[in-house]
Amino acid sequence: MTAVFPYPTIFGDVELRVMSVSVDNRELPYAMISATDRAVALHQAGRGAWERARLRLSVTFPEAEISSGPWSDVVFLAVLSEKATNARTTAVLSRSADGTMQGTIELDSVAHLRRATLGVSVVATVEGVAGRLVGSATQDWYVDLKASTPARQREIDIVEVDFKEGEHEWLRPYKESAWIVETTGDVPTVYLNTGAIEGLMVALRGSGGSPAERMLRDLAATQIAQDAWTAMFHTAVSDLDTDEDGTPMLPKGWRESVLRSMLPDVLPGRQPTDALYEIVERRTKGYGWAEIQTGVQFAAGRRSRATRNLTNAVRSVQNLEGAGGAR
Amino acid sequence: MNRSDGSELPPILGMLTDASVAKHIGRAVQTGQERPPQVALRRAAETLGAAQRWRTEPVRVLVDEAMRRFEGRRTAADGWFAPRLHATLRMTRAEAADGRLWNFIAMVVAPDYVVWRHRGSDTDGAPGAATAARFCGPHYTQAFSRLWWAAELFRDGSDYRPTETACQVQDVLQTTMRLDVIDHRPTAQAILRVLERRLAAGVSRPGDQANALSAAVNAAGSTLVYDVLAPDRPADTDALQDWIDDAEDAAAAPWDRLPEGPQDGEVSRASIDALIPIFEQLLAEAPIRDRSARKGGVPDPRLPEGVSLTKPSDHL
Repeated sequence: MTAVFPYPTIFGDVELRVMSVSVDNRELPYAMISATDRAVALHQAGRGAWERARLRLSVTFPEAEISSGPWSDVVFLAVLSEKATNARTTAVLSRSADGTMQGTIELDSVAHLRRATLGVSVVATVEGVAGRLVGSATQDWYVDLKASTPARQREIDIVEVDFKEGEHEWLRPYKESAWIVETTGDVPTVYLNTGAIEGLMVALRGSGGSPAERMLRDLAATQIAQDAWTAMFHTAVSDLDTDEDGTPMLPKGWRESVLRSMLPDVLPGRQPTDALYEIVERRTKGYGWAEIQTGVQFAAGRRSRATRNLTNAVRSVQNLEGAGGAR
Repeated sequence: MNRSDGSELPPILGMLTDASVAKHIGRAVQTGQERPPQVALRRAAETLGAAQRWRTEPVRVLVDEAMRRFEGRRTAADGWFAPRLHATLRMTRAEAADGRLWNFIAMVVAPDYVVWRHRGSDTDGAPGAATAARFCGPHYTQAFSRLWWAAELFRDGSDYRPTETACQVQDVLQTTMRLDVIDHRPTAQAILRVLERRLAAGVSRPGDQANALSAAVNAAGSTLVYDVLAPDRPADTDALQDWIDDAEDAAAAPWDRLPEGPQDGEVSRASIDALIPIFEQLLAEAPIRDRSARKGGVPDPRLPEGVSLTKPSDHL
């Protein structure tokens, strides 16, 4: 969002960098900090229980602009927050010898659940008013508490379970179904029913095999992927947060990845935010919602490689028939 | 534990995913005509550990007492229930942010309370229902998590009195609690102080004042950084942990006086005092929507007009 401020703000870039992280006074391996993704992976194998992480930060800023500008009492404030836990921690940064602003912010594991956002606000007295926001870091960082590598995109979980007799009670009603896609959680999950179709699991798991086996595997995988993409899309466009003027905003996590990837195919030629606005309009007002479905199906099909796999399947059927006819 | 309706409550609390409860929240459950299917839900639930704080009975006792004490004036129950629920279900914010526990309490432990507290008025012979979000919903809406979080976000260290003030004006729970600005403790306390003054002055419709003030504080928060104007001390996590550990042998929360919260640090008086004049001025300049003009048989749908529900973090 580009906000308009009724007073002069900083024009130049304020850049935040996480230099190092210590967890319970032990340094986190540098591989757990990704500058390109602006992400820190705190939850790693072998160190599940920890209490406190300290993040050492460094901020670069347009020094000449700030020193000559109309701002006084300039404060650089690092803000660590997480919406799910309503947590908010701040730390005032101080000037270091190399001209950057540096400081340490603490993250208590009991106050955070999934992912904390780390930003920087530049605060100053402007035109006689203290405490005004005059700038912020161009991009925030994210601290993941439930990821083993510092990546912000999550994959899909695939769970093989017997719907009828397995541990998941809620799957019982779907016992006739070969698979179910569940998208309410943090990670979308495909439940494959080991009890529904005899031999399907073997076919899905195999590699190589006869052309007919390959065909079956590809088609089943395509079908499952198509269902998963469609379900993920619908979940991602529902329940969106909006900003002040009612514009829907891209969600976070996998929902964002799904929308960014599929929206260009659902409504071609539009920016993701514009496409999202259009979709929400149609969904809430009811017009043109049916037409969207074609786009969703197309986008899901592309991602599940439906056309390619179907083409291969048709060819193998033709080959089988050809072989049969020659006999 | 035997219930009057013959069903038995599980001794230990559990967790239920949104997916596993969603299909059981139907009209009959929302109106209280049927109890959610206990066997299916309990089988789908993940049980919490054996710690005292996860025992079902103390929560159920509070629920029964709340319904007994506040029969006929259910909104008044919040101010009594919130601090006692918080002091009974002692946990960290990370634990409380997991909606599965709240789903379990609403669906298994006390679905009757959800209906009792949040049932809408009957229309044309059809019985009033509690919305699905009261059973399974965001922290500021779900019947139990809204109380726990009200206590957590508005308490001043171990002092739950500000929580009582917050619950006195329903709009604080419904509107103010959604805003990110109150995650800064001095801001939350200063809002309550300003409201307290209005309540003490006997202002009519304090809810309108609460909405106007919250909207103004939230809007001004996009250019004013309250953290700098009113610095907060970091919470004492060790003290919080001690308090949680004390749950093993702590007595049940008292009914007639306030329980004591964790001694994880009071909000700095100076910081609250620094914000009060700013908020007073914001409220004085804020347009206060007079909702008394809109009278009908229908209760206010509490449309957040003039109040931005957007949290600053939405833009991140």
